[in-house]
Amino acid sequence: MTVVQPTRHAAEPTLREPAHRVNPRALKYWVITDAIWSFVVGVGLVVGYQFLPDSWARWLGPLFILIMLYNVVTLALEPLIRYRRTRWEVTGERVFSQTGWLSRDQRIAPLSRVQTVDTQRGPVMRLFRLANITVTTASAAGPITLTCLDTDLADQVTADLARVTGQTRGDAT
Amino acid sequence: MLADGGMPAPPPGMGAGDEEGWHRLSARMLLVHPVRALMSMAVPLVLVVFGVSRGDNGPWLWFVVVGAVLAVVFGVLAWFFTTYRFTSEQLQLRTGVLSRKVVTAPLDRIRSVDLESTPIHRVLGLAKAKIGTGVDTSQIELDGLTRQQGADLRVFLLRRSHVVDTGDSPSTEAPAATDADAGATADRTGEEELARINWGWLRYAPFSLSSLVVVAGAAGVLGQFGDDLPFDEVSAAQGAWEWVIARSLVLLIAGAVVALLLSWVLVSTASYVLNWWNLRLVREPGGKIRLSRGLLTTRSQTIESAKIRGVLMTEQFLLRFVRGAELTALATGVGTGGTTRLLPPAPRRVVEQVGHELLEEDGALTMALTGHGPKARRRIHVSQQWGSLFLAVLVAVPTYWIDVWWFASWPWWVPLAALGAVGLLNLAIAEASWRNLGHGLTQDHVVVQTGAIIRSREVLERAGIIGWVLHQSFFQRRLGLADLTATTAAGNERLVAPNIPVGAAIELADAATPGMLDRLRA
Repeated sequence: MTVVQPTRHAAEPTLREPAHRVNPRALKYWVITDAIWSFVVGVGLVVGYQFLPDSWARWLGPLFILIMLYNVVTLALEPLIRYRRTRWEVTGERVFSQTGWLSRDQRIAPLSRVQTVDTQRGPVMRLFRLANITVTTASAAGPITLTCLDTDLADQVTADLARVTGQTRGDAT
Repeated sequence: MLADGGMPAPPPGMGAGDEEGWHRLSARMLLVHPVRALMSMAVPLVLVVFGVSRGDNGPWLWFVVVGAVLAVVFGVLAWFFTTYRFTSEQLQLRTGVLSRKVVTAPLDRIRSVDLESTPIHRVLGLAKAKIGTGVDTSQIELDGLTRQQGADLRVFLLRRSHVVDTGDSPSTEAPAATDADAGATADRTGEEELARINWGWLRYAPFSLSSLVVVAGAAGVLGQFGDDLPFDEVSAAQGAWEWVIARSLVLLIAGAVVALLLSWVLVSTASYVLNWWNLRLVREPGGKIRLSRGLLTTRSQTIESAKIRGVLMTEQFLLRFVRGAELTALATGVGTGGTTRLLPPAPRRVVEQVGHELLEEDGALTMALTGHGPKARRRIHVSQQWGSLFLAVLVAVPTYWIDVWWFASWPWWVPLAALGAVGLLNLAIAEASWRNLGHGLTQDHVVVQTGAIIRSREVLERAGIIGWVLHQSFFQRRLGLADLTATTAAGNERLVAPNIPVGAAIELADAATPGMLDRLRA
């Protein structure tokens, strides 16, 4: 009613990719975590199958096999694609990240609006000396996670971010 | 940082408190607690009293009485141990009988003060104050101020935060407002009325779906008696009676429909009157928006207008037929989840006018928006039909492959019928949501309109945008579409423009927040 459809499309601008790739060790880390996950799911399904009554097992069986197949295919494809697609960038004025392997998420937050900077290292991540940095703003929709940076680099980036955002005035809303 | 460091700051009319400045809530609250306890015990009491005739209810009666006494004792203890005070920088509230808790709010961070009086409160001249700091959603509750204290507190807290914010020295309104009695009247001078209830709007009440829940509940209760209706006896009759039966069944159904409609109109109108009685929406001097309303329970909500980052206009399916709409304010850390309902279902023209007043800009609620084009239409239709397909498969599995229970009796065409019916419905929904979908940009605001059954137009101040998220699902990437999210601290903390062409998304983001996308465009 009050919406007018556009008649033509001018030159379509797009966003460029952020500058940096994640650490190459992330590839191994993703393979390992995916493998652990597929193994757990597989064991769960096999055990569950034993307890199913026959009438259910007849048509749930193929479904279980499909799920396990999907997990194996994911294990083979996902880490590599994810490695190519995951990128990050912190410049003087903003944090910019890109994540996702089938989908794509590009997130931008100006440093002046950043409220907290956290670093996380899970047990498996520590094996590979990797760390995640999560930057939050005053919006629940706005957290930006820079995944799988080298630990030393992560510390340095965190320190830089903390220094810059410490100068911010007001409550950043 | 405070403008006037050591100022001891009891608001006018509060008295000094004890030697450390701690106040108790009004002693009249001691009457409220027993009444509340009695009301919560009313149902069990009635049950017991009516059950007494069957004898042997002595222990239960005692149980109820002891429960009531305990509730009263706890209420008194809670009152005794609840104290609050104002220091030069903070409002502090101590609560808890066994485990003590202290909640504090910095005075210069207080962004909203809500006053609420239930009927019991009103009989005793009391009010409950909810004080919000506008940063997180937790609010400090002072349940049991006198009405005058509440009014003074509101003026005191909000004027103070305003003074600190702007760095102004307390201006001419200050001396008038410090006088306890003149507080409310001085306030009224120079305030600008944005809206007032117009009982002609009552005609919109039945078209609002908000009371659907209430009527559905009532229908459910009536349904309990359905078994007692004499259907079986009637249908057992034969011959000449059959015509009468058929007629009476039709009458019965027609009667039920009419009764349902009548109760719908009654309930929706009653809840409209209860909630929106005496509605006044005013802009006070110093940039505050005050909303007061309510017939039995009265509410007064005050928000700093600087914290209002936008508005949301919703038009439900039925309301759209009568050109009605509703208005909600999007603010930071105020109200429920950052949203405050400002107007009841009202004429769309009024909603637009009040909305524009709040936004301090014309056009955002009336302007024509830019649609998202043919690819978005395709995407919306396809993703909507996944639902139909899923439902059809869900029906097909029991029809074709499970031969147990009553599935066995389903004929072969049931899944196809389900697919057809749901498919048509989804077709209509998808088309409507594409037609409603659009975005726009004004001098100060970003506008996004979405929704099929409930059309909602969300307007967000450009200065309130604190980041962007461009999300593309696998299928959206193939079509060059994206979900563009503007992140913000206000309202539900995001403004989403779904299925927008990537080019349009980047143009919109770049134009709305100049500089944020510098050197990111390719």
